[in-house]
Amino acid sequence: MDETRPEPIEQIRQRYEGEWLLIKVTSHDENGLPKEGILLGHFPDRKAAWEATEFVDGEVYVLFAGPTIPEGWEAVLHGWFSL
Amino acid sequence: MDGFRFDLSAPHIVVPVRITGMQRVRWVNLVLDTGSTSTVIDELVAFRLGYNLESAPTVSVTTVSGTSQASIIVARQIFALGMTVDEFPVLVMPLPTQLRADGLLGLDFLRRRNLFCNFEKGILLTLPSSRGFLHRLAIFAQIFPAL
Amino acid sequence: MFWVRFDPTRPDVRFWVRLLGPRGIVWCEMVLDTGSSRTVLDERLLARAGYDLIAAPKATVATANSRVEAKIVTVRQISALGISADDFPVLAMPLSQPLGVDGLLGLDFLRRRNLFCNLEKGILLTLPFSRGFLQRLAIFAQIFPAL
Repeated sequence: MDETRPEPIEQIRQRYEGEWLLIKVTSHDENGLPKEGILLGHFPDRKAAWEATEFVDGEVYVLFAGPTIPEGWEAVLHGWFSL
Repeated sequence: MDGFRFDLSAPHIVVPVRITGMQRVRWVNLVLDTGSTSTVIDELVAFRLGYNLESAPTVSVTTVSGTSQASIIVARQIFALGMTVDEFPVLVMPLPTQLRADGLLGLDFLRRRNLFCNFEKGILLTLPSSRGFLHRLAIFAQIFPAL
Repeated sequence: MFWVRFDPTRPDVRFWVRLLGPRGIVWCEMVLDTGSSRTVLDERLLARAGYDLIAAPKATVATANSRVEAKIVTVRQISALGISADDFPVLAMPLSQPLGVDGLLGLDFLRRRNLFCNLEKGILLTLPFSRGFLQRLAIFAQIFPAL
């Protein structure tokens, strides 16, 4: 895995567009949201990114650097759950 | 809380959410979903947070593509949009791989506050329910910069 | 400003929407759905409104538990929450049986105005994009009673 100095998470996202990222959070903004972090790894899919979290303690952030659905797709995420 | 900024060009409003599970704390991105009655996370996320899904109770879920089952876990804590909720039930199911978020932030969570969405500037605010005239004025101070 | 009331005791946010089709006006009960990138209407309702689905182009759709194909129909006009959209593409899907609703009002429609949602009192409000300090004050005067 890559181990570098903390940098803005937005910067990491732009560098690894289209990949799943595993980031160790090092600072937060005024709203308590992750602001800077250290990239621990970048992966082609969600499964690989989450498997890598097994080896990491502390506050980590798993995210996809890109839109929530592929280009040309639509999403209808309505769900009625019967509790 | 200041307004949460979202990407206007994205197909969804994506919210960073901190989930405290049985063994770990993880930040994930969830889709702000007023069309989901419950908050949902992907199976992989629940497993890596330390939950055993085999013994978890299940519920029925109906979507536009049919009915399936989801497991129920209780997150020790969820933090999103400036709100912290302890012992919060979350549903777990395998989400399609084409969805590049780890779940849905549903109405069960969102109902705790009022919502203001500025779709021109990409700002989302959660606001408390008002308890009188003076309180409404206080809420005004929060909304005004986001208009 | 446009103000709509919904039943806050229901698990979802539902209200009435006006659809204009070749056979005239049809009223649809729809769910506020920020999880839908595109607005969805029940295919039987669209057929009743006079739309031809047979030759309609298709789209691939990720749902909460699957992937499906849906037809794309361009409706003449759809009006809700003070917003009117002409020649508006929607997804046609079978909704009424599994979900008991005529449609899902998605982000493609909702983005046209700012949105305020009082989930406790059951009030939905859309507001214009602001153009200066005085207009922000005017907009806030509209939100104030809904807080």
